Amino acid sequence: MAETPAPIRIAACGCVTPFGDAQASHAALIRGECALRRVPVLGNDGGDPVPLALMPGRPLDETAPPGWLSSVKGLAERLPPGAWGSPGRPVFVTGSNFGVGGLYALGRTGNAAFASWGALPTCTEQLRLALGWGPDVAILSHACVSAHLGLLEATRAIEAGAADEALVLSFDFLSPFVAGGFHSLKILNSEFPAPYRERASGAIGLGDGAAFAVLARGRGDWTLEGQGVYNEMHHFTSNRADGSGFARCLEAAAGAADGRRVWFKGHGTGTLDAGRLEVAEASRAFPGSPITGWKGSLGHTLGSCGLVELAIAIESVRSGIAPGTIGGPGEPMGPSVALDNFGTRGFDGVVCASNAFGGAHAAFLLCHA
Amino acid sequence: MRLFFSAMLERHIDLLFTDDAGGESPAATRDRLKGLFPPGSTRRMTTLGLLVGAGLSRVDPGEDDALVYASGYAESCALEGFLGSFPTPSPTLFQTSIHPSAVQQSLIGRQRPIREFLPMSGSSLLAFHAVRASLLMAAPRCVLCGGEERGTWLLEHGLASGRTFAFAAALTRERTGAAIGTLGISRDGGGGALGLAPFFDLLRERKAFDGMVAPGWRLRLKWN
Repeated sequence: MAETPAPIRIAACGCVTPFGDAQASHAALIRGECALRRVPVLGNDGGDPVPLALMPGRPLDETAPPGWLSSVKGLAERLPPGAWGSPGRPVFVTGSNFGVGGLYALGRTGNAAFASWGALPTCTEQLRLALGWGPDVAILSHACVSAHLGLLEATRAIEAGAADEALVLSFDFLSPFVAGGFHSLKILNSEFPAPYRERASGAIGLGDGAAFAVLARGRGDWTLEGQGVYNEMHHFTSNRADGSGFARCLEAAAGAADGRRVWFKGHGTGTLDAGRLEVAEASRAFPGSPITGWKGSLGHTLGSCGLVELAIAIESVRSGIAPGTIGGPGEPMGPSVALDNFGTRGFDGVVCASNAFGGAHAAFLLCHA
Repeated sequence: MRLFFSAMLERHIDLLFTDDAGGESPAATRDRLKGLFPPGSTRRMTTLGLLVGAGLSRVDPGEDDALVYASGYAESCALEGFLGSFPTPSPTLFQTSIHPSAVQQSLIGRQRPIREFLPMSGSSLLAFHAVRASLLMAAPRCVLCGGEERGTWLLEHGLASGRTFAFAAALTRERTGAAIGTLGISRDGGGGALGLAPFFDLLRERKAFDGMVAPGWRLRLKWN
């Protein structure tokens, strides 16, 4: 009789935000602190002040080598030792705007020193060399669901025997490129975000962030179940108004959560239509589950948000208290929206969801093993 | 305990579309392919969006198929245009320049949802990573597509492709009567690399391949 393989678990996980590591970030959220500060949208080139959460001391403008590299190196020092990027130990780098700060600086200054950190492949290759990894470093980039895809791909690689263990590393650090882009869409403006709250107009904040997760068979305290994705392909920046795309995405997590009490860590950027849709569909799929979101403090860490917020969700379960939704004022979009911190001891798991351009949705159920 | 094993992951190639635009101008590519898209929809599409979209229109991914998209530099011309639009950045070019815009331009234009969509980037191992992702997908049918478009000033800095091309292949778990080839990877000793353009050439020329494409990984491409 064949031996049943051990389940895949999160063997290690961590993040860095402007507040510090996962523990410090969680503690700051519990205290209701906000990392967002108004910064000129184009950095040294000026422009409207917009809410950005930058790493302490890091300017929005890119340097060569990038100022954010020390944050990623510091995070990488907390990885389990080993030959990452070698056969059997692949790396999945995920994110949505890494490299583009170098492109912006190159375009503005013509300084070729920025080129080696510009664009997804070149930036990742420089990082790979800086961290001493082997060549098996894949890049997944699908806007704000990128990190979820890395976790899904890593899980599948291990399930299929294509990897012994896998590292998912996600990083997104802001630049005038991405701040200017979101400002041009008018959703990044002078207002601070108030996720899941009714107000006259929506607004988002953006944040620096990086995180990692190591997945392995039979090692670690945490499981990812019901990993689901769905791509509406309805509109570049809007979801289907009836919520059907997000509902399809949540099917797998809802199936995995069947009969268990869960809380819901949503995307919650601060835009109104998306917030209402999230609250409606999460309440439908997980009746009575409290809904929380942390981008009103951390800002939206873009392609890395799924992994940064996973690390904080783990810290929430570990500590027994989850941060409520930060940002205000305004009435909550539904009775399930948790504005205050709440205890996690009475729950069996947390559903973590992210949403992206193109009507892309992703979710999973995180449980203690 | 070491679990990494050497079994081959394999799928059958059911449909294949390749387009090597060569030295064709973006305007000529648009004119050549616009008939494949709804009237008026190609005005804001990128060259890569047109080429990838043309491939997708032929292999026609369904909602329950999986889709893997590979492009190292993606929408280089839209990126150049967006960068050139500062200090008043263009919202349209911002959206268009974001990976994986080429696929979204096509599938949003045709209102074609898809459950699993895995957009990838990379360089010397990109073809291996995209093939591995395709072979790991749970869906019985997976569409593997990709391509590049030639940049201008970004190319001078090594930050864009020097070629314009695209491909789309429908890969199935079960062999059908329409199968034209097989694509598989297996664990092996030694090292190697296979970027997207050389992989595209193998597909375009229907050329068999059996060699190392990444450290520890062999790729076999066979044609019926």
